[in-house]
Amino acid sequence: MFLSRRLTGKYASLWVSLLAILMTLAAASILLLAMGKNPLIAFRSFLQGCGMIPKENYGGGSGMLTDLLDFLNYLAPLILASLAFIAAFKAGLFNIGIAGQMLLAGFTATVLVGYNKGLSAVVAKPLVLLIGLLVGGMTGALIGWLKYRFNIHEVVSTIMLNYIISYLTGFFINNNYVDMMTRNSKVCSPDSRLTLTNIMIGDLKCKIPLGLIIAILIALLVSFLFRKTVLGFEIKAVGQNRRCSEYTGIRVNRTILLSMGLSGAIAGLAGVAYYLGYTNTIIPKTLPGMGYDSISVALLGSGAPIGSIFAAIVVSVFQQGANYMSSTVGVAKEIASLITGILLLFASCGNYMKYKAARKMQLAEDLRRTEGKEAKAL
Amino acid sequence: MGDYIVEMRHITKRFPGIIANDDVSIGIRKGEVYALLGENGAGKSTLMSILFGTYEPDAGEILVRGQEVHFHSSTDAAACGIGMVHQHFKLVEPFTIAENIVLGVEPEEKRLGVLPWMNMKKANRQISELSKEYGLEVNPTDRIGDVPVSVRQRVEILKMLYRGAEIMIFDEPTAVLTPQEIDFLLQIIDNLRRNGKTILLITHKIAEIKRIADRCAILRQGKLIDIRDVADASTQELADLMVGRQVRFTQEKTAPNFGEPVLEVQHLTVKNEHKFDVVKDVSFTIRSGEIFAIAGVSGNGQGEIADAIAGLAKIADGNVILNGKEINDLNVRERCLSGISYIPEDRQETGTIPDMTLQENLSLREYFREPFSRKGILKQDPFRDYAEKLIGKYDIRCAQGPDTILRSMSGGNQQKAIVGREIEEKSRLIIFVQPTRGLDIGAIENVHRQILEERERGAAILLISLELDEIMNLADTIGVLYRGEILKIDSADRMTTQEVGRYMMGVKEA
Repeated sequence: MFLSRRLTGKYASLWVSLLAILMTLAAASILLLAMGKNPLIAFRSFLQGCGMIPKENYGGGSGMLTDLLDFLNYLAPLILASLAFIAAFKAGLFNIGIAGQMLLAGFTATVLVGYNKGLSAVVAKPLVLLIGLLVGGMTGALIGWLKYRFNIHEVVSTIMLNYIISYLTGFFINNNYVDMMTRNSKVCSPDSRLTLTNIMIGDLKCKIPLGLIIAILIALLVSFLFRKTVLGFEIKAVGQNRRCSEYTGIRVNRTILLSMGLSGAIAGLAGVAYYLGYTNTIIPKTLPGMGYDSISVALLGSGAPIGSIFAAIVVSVFQQGANYMSSTVGVAKEIASLITGILLLFASCGNYMKYKAARKMQLAEDLRRTEGKEAKAL
Repeated sequence: MGDYIVEMRHITKRFPGIIANDDVSIGIRKGEVYALLGENGAGKSTLMSILFGTYEPDAGEILVRGQEVHFHSSTDAAACGIGMVHQHFKLVEPFTIAENIVLGVEPEEKRLGVLPWMNMKKANRQISELSKEYGLEVNPTDRIGDVPVSVRQRVEILKMLYRGAEIMIFDEPTAVLTPQEIDFLLQIIDNLRRNGKTILLITHKIAEIKRIADRCAILRQGKLIDIRDVADASTQELADLMVGRQVRFTQEKTAPNFGEPVLEVQHLTVKNEHKFDVVKDVSFTIRSGEIFAIAGVSGNGQGEIADAIAGLAKIADGNVILNGKEINDLNVRERCLSGISYIPEDRQETGTIPDMTLQENLSLREYFREPFSRKGILKQDPFRDYAEKLIGKYDIRCAQGPDTILRSMSGGNQQKAIVGREIEEKSRLIIFVQPTRGLDIGAIENVHRQILEERERGAAILLISLELDEIMNLADTIGVLYRGEILKIDSADRMTTQEVGRYMMGVKEA
C-alpha cells in the first residue's frame, strides 16, 4: 500500500526509478552470491572505483579526486547520449543509432581537428564541438528524412547506418590513421581534447572534463525545450499522436526531421566528448557501448532530461567502477554491462508498475466506498 | 420463478474507477425478445459480456435453464447454447462466408481412416439450408471482404445458429445499418423469436425496442432502474427512465436565414492509397447559416470529403473554395486560420492527444500564437485561463480541472472538449463528422443544441453523420453520398427518411 500510494502520486516517476534500482541491486546481489562473492563488498568497490568512497591505498599522483574526475569524464558523454535518445523519444522515435552517430562525429572531429597540430586550443575546442553538432545532426536528419520520404522505420535505418559507419570509419582508420603499437587510431592533439590532462591539484595529477559542463548545459536546454517552447510542445504532440498533430496543423514531417536532427546533434556532442575527451582514441570497427547504455539511462530517468543526469550517474558507477571491482572482488568486469541490462529491464517495466499500483489503489477505493455505503445502510 | 431460461442474480462487476454492474438481477423467459436499454456506460454490454463468459462477475450468480453456471470463457457460454453478435464483427476477411461460420467447429472427417479432411461441400450445403430456413440470404462461397456490412451481420447470426445457439445476444446491432437494413434485421429477429429462440437486445434506441421487444430492462450507471413490458410503456417514459430526467427529442429550429456562400466544393475527387477514387466529382455549396448534411452508409467517402476540405487528404482533382478564395494549396494550419473548424470522427485517434492534459488539448488551435506563446516560448497562464473558461462554458466534467489527463475523462466529456475547442474559434465553416457517435441522449441533446446555435450565429455547417434521425432533425439541405458520389442534393423538407435511405443504398432516381 505504501508503494502503491507512492507510485500513483506526484513523484511517481522518481519512485519507479528508485524501485528499478533497488530491484536491480537485489538481482545483482543474487548473481554475486551465486558466484560466491559478497555483494556488499562488490558494491563498495564499485563506488571506490568511481572515487566516491576512498580506497585502501592509492598509487603515486592519484587519489580519490582523480578517480572521481575520471568518473565524471565518463559521465559527461553518457549524459549527452541519453539526452540524444530523449530528444528523439519525445517525438515517438527510437534512435538506437546513437552509437553510430557518436562514432561518425568523433571520427570526423578527430581527423579534421585532432590531427591538425596547427590549431590552438581556443580555436580547436569550439571547432570540435561544432563538428560534433553538425556531423551528428546531419546523420540524424538523414534518418528523419528517410523516415518521412521513404517510410523507412528509424530502427531499421539506424541499425544499418551503425554498421555502415562502423566499417567505413574502421576502414579509414586502418588505412590512414592507425597507431601501429595500439592498433587503434592515433591519439588527438592535447589542444583539441575536451578533457584537460595533467592538471596538478595539490600533488594529484588530474583530468578536468570540460564535456561535463556541456552535458549539464544541454540537459538544461533540452529540459527548457520540452517544458517551455512551442517546438518542444509540437515534438511531444507528434510523439504522442501523429494523426492528431497533423489534424492540428503541425507540420509532422518537419517536426520529425527536426527532432531526429536534434537527437543526432546531441549524439554528435556525446561522440566528441567520448572520443576526444574520455578515450582520446578510436578502436576501429567498434561501436561505443555507451550508445546503447544511453537507452537504459533515458528510460531509468523516465525520459526527463534532468532525471537522466541522475540516472547516468547510477549507470556510470557500474560501468566505470567495474575495473576496480573486478580487481578487488575478482568478478569479470562484464558484469557491469549485465547489471545495466537488468536495470533496463526493470526500468522499462515502469509503466506496468504504475498501472498495477493505480489499479490496486482504485480497487481499495471502490471497496472503501461500497463498504461505507453498506455501513450507512445498516 | 421456474419459467426463466436465463437468470442473472445480484450481479456486481467492478472495473478500476467504476462499478459497471451494481447488484443487477434480471430474468429472461424462453422465446421472448428482451431488451437492455441504457445510455453509454450504463453497464449493458458488461452485463451481457458476463453472460457470454467474457468477464467473470465479482459477485452474483447466473442460472441457465435453472442450473447454476460458471463461465470462464465464451466457449463455456457457447456450450450452454448462448451466442453473441458483437458490435464490431469478429470475422476473417479473406475467408469465405462458410469458412467463417464453421471456424472453430470445422466439419472434420477422416479420409482413408487417418487423413483429416474438412468437408466444405457439406458445410456449404448445411449453411445454405440454414440461411433459407431463417430467411438470412447469403452465398456461402462469397468472401467476407467482398460483402457489405448487413451481410456480415447475417453471417454473425448464422454463426450462432450453426453452433446451435438458443439464446442470442445482439450488441447494438443497428448501429451500422441503413433504415431499410434495420427493417430487415428486425424481421429476422422476429423470425428467430418465432422459431423459439430467445433474444437479448442491447440498444439505446427506443424506437427499435418499441417495434420488436417484449420486455425491457432499463439500466443507468450500472444499476437496474426498472423492468417494463414494452407494450405498456410509452417512448417518452422509457427515455426519461433511461436518462433519469425529462428528455426533449427534437430541438427547436429557427427559420433558415441563409447568407452568402461560405464553402464551395467543385468537382472534388480524392484518391485513397491504392489510387482508387474514394470521392468522385463531388460538388456542393454551403451558405452561411445553413446546415448541409451528408448522409450515407459508413465508408462511402464521407471522412475523405471532410479531410480534403480540412487539408488532411490530398485533393486529386477539383477545387475547394472558402469565402470566395481557393484553398487547395493551403496547409492544414493555414486553412484553420482562414476559418475552418473541424470536429473529426475519431475522438481519440484524431481529435485529441489522450495522454496530454485537458488544458493542452483545449489549446491545440491556439498554442502557437499570442497570448499563448510569444516568439516560440510558451506562456503558462493563458493555457490555464483559456481551459478554465472552456470548462465552464461547455460544461466539461473533469476530475482535476485543466490538469486532468484527457484519457481519464469519459467519451462524452472528451467530445465536449473537442466541440468546445472548435466552436470557440468562431470559424465561418464548421465541419462536424459523427458528432454524437457513442454519446448518450443527454450529451446528444447538448451537441445538437450547439450545432443549431452556431447555425444561428451564421456559420456554415457541414454535418456528416450516419444517424439518419440526426440528419433529418438538423439539416437544412441534404446530400446523399453513395460510393463516393453525391446521388442527390435537395432541401431537407422535401425529402423523407425513406427517400434518403433509398439513395443511401444506391438507388438512383425514383
